[in-house]
Amino acid sequence: MAKIIVVTSGKGGVGKTTSSAAISAGLAMRGFKTVVIDFDVGLRNLDMIMGCERRVVFDFINVIQGDAKLKQALIKDRRLENLFILPTSQTRDKDALTRDGVEKILNELREEFDYIICDSPAGIERGAHLAMYYADEAIVVTNPEVSSVRDSDRVLGLLNSKTYLAEKGGDNTVRSHLLLTRYDTQRVARGEMMTVEDVLEILAIPLLGIIPESSTVLRASNVGMPVVLDEKSGAGKAYEDAVSRLMGDQIEMRLDSGERPGFFQRLLGRTA
Amino acid sequence: MSVKPFQIRGRFFTAVALRPEGDADQAFYDALDVQLRHTPNFFANAPFVIDLEQTDSLTEARDLVRLIEEMRHRKLSVFGVQNGTATQTATAVKAGLISLPSGRDVPVDRVERSVRQAPEMPDEAPEAPQPASLLITEPVRSGQKIFADRGDLVVVSSVGAGAELIAVGNIHVYGHLRGRALAGVNGDTTARIFCQGLDAELLAIAGLYRTSEDLGPAIRKQRVQAFLMDDKLCVEPLK
Repeated sequence: MAKIIVVTSGKGGVGKTTSSAAISAGLAMRGFKTVVIDFDVGLRNLDMIMGCERRVVFDFINVIQGDAKLKQALIKDRRLENLFILPTSQTRDKDALTRDGVEKILNELREEFDYIICDSPAGIERGAHLAMYYADEAIVVTNPEVSSVRDSDRVLGLLNSKTYLAEKGGDNTVRSHLLLTRYDTQRVARGEMMTVEDVLEILAIPLLGIIPESSTVLRASNVGMPVVLDEKSGAGKAYEDAVSRLMGDQIEMRLDSGERPGFFQRLLGRTA
Repeated sequence: MSVKPFQIRGRFFTAVALRPEGDADQAFYDALDVQLRHTPNFFANAPFVIDLEQTDSLTEARDLVRLIEEMRHRKLSVFGVQNGTATQTATAVKAGLISLPSGRDVPVDRVERSVRQAPEMPDEAPEAPQPASLLITEPVRSGQKIFADRGDLVVVSSVGAGAELIAVGNIHVYGHLRGRALAGVNGDTTARIFCQGLDAELLAIAGLYRTSEDLGPAIRKQRVQAFLMDDKLCVEPLK
């Protein structure tokens, strides 16, 4: 039975799409047949991060409206054979999403895939609501700063009340995990950012991983490659660990970025 | 669209049945007075029914009328009679009582009659008390609003910033309180707020409030209670 995981945050710019790309690639690398869906209708980004924007013909909205078949809209990743992308429309807006349409597509995808990753838009309106509505699990992406933590808390409240599992009211609830991104140990040490403990104390959900602030993330986005595929990247390793924990493995949290400073960097001292 | 000037609803009450087991003589009234002295408030405003099943006397109309008068004299709100003979029932109806069947299946037409004929019946009979407090075991997240509209609110977890707790009675938080807490919202000035870690945006009791700005740093993150004294909201650490 396929598992539907929503990647959400409330706040924008915290790394939802980067995390969706990295986690779905990480799952596909482990042999799970995975599809990642872009719910950010009108602000189509996922296909760029995945490096397949030039292959988009049909999209999520075309399938919802019956203009295309699901098979026609799914794009197979060139690097990982188990990974598929369902891009969204750039010309439409969130009103084009319907609950019935989303349900129908998710049911169809459930037949074929092991994991369905829903990349939520920012905010708590229609797009974000429908991205989380049918989820079995949630990855709440949070930056270590107060406004992001506050918005994540709000989203956790919605996951507990405004989802299919919550409305059905059985023993099953949406299992939520915290993914702390853009974590800069030096800025935390200087007291400019919140510590892991501070964030966990407020949100009170299990920690899936800590992704260090890293230049490799932006570089990977620019070339359209999920950051887990960059073997030298500390952020990529941190995402791999997060995927392992998602599978239920017990892995120790590593706080350092894992990136050895190069010769020139050591010479010049750390920037950024 | 026409608006009905009244509504007719069936309503159930618990009535107290007085069941004489012999003559309604002086000994009977003495025993009744002893009983009433023991429980002076128990029968106040309680609707009374005279159940004649166990007695063969009270056949004389004046005996029954005297019983009704003696009961009313003792402020017992007698309104009905049960299990009497035809003569007894007729006497009771003449004295302003209504005849009630003994079973639970009250005929529908009787509902109207009892409402019309027994105006001395109290509007609400004492009901079995229901639990009035509200218990929350999950964290209360930002943007959530919890309202305990009948009594106390107990949260066995933390309350996020931007969450709102509202209670008619007291509020207890066995975690960090970062949101807003409004106790005694119906005007109960004796209501209090208790929490294990104070970081609240706002505390209010019966409409008097303090925001985090004027709560001061000394009590931040402390175990505290908030209460009203001389129309001021006091926040003090719990010892």
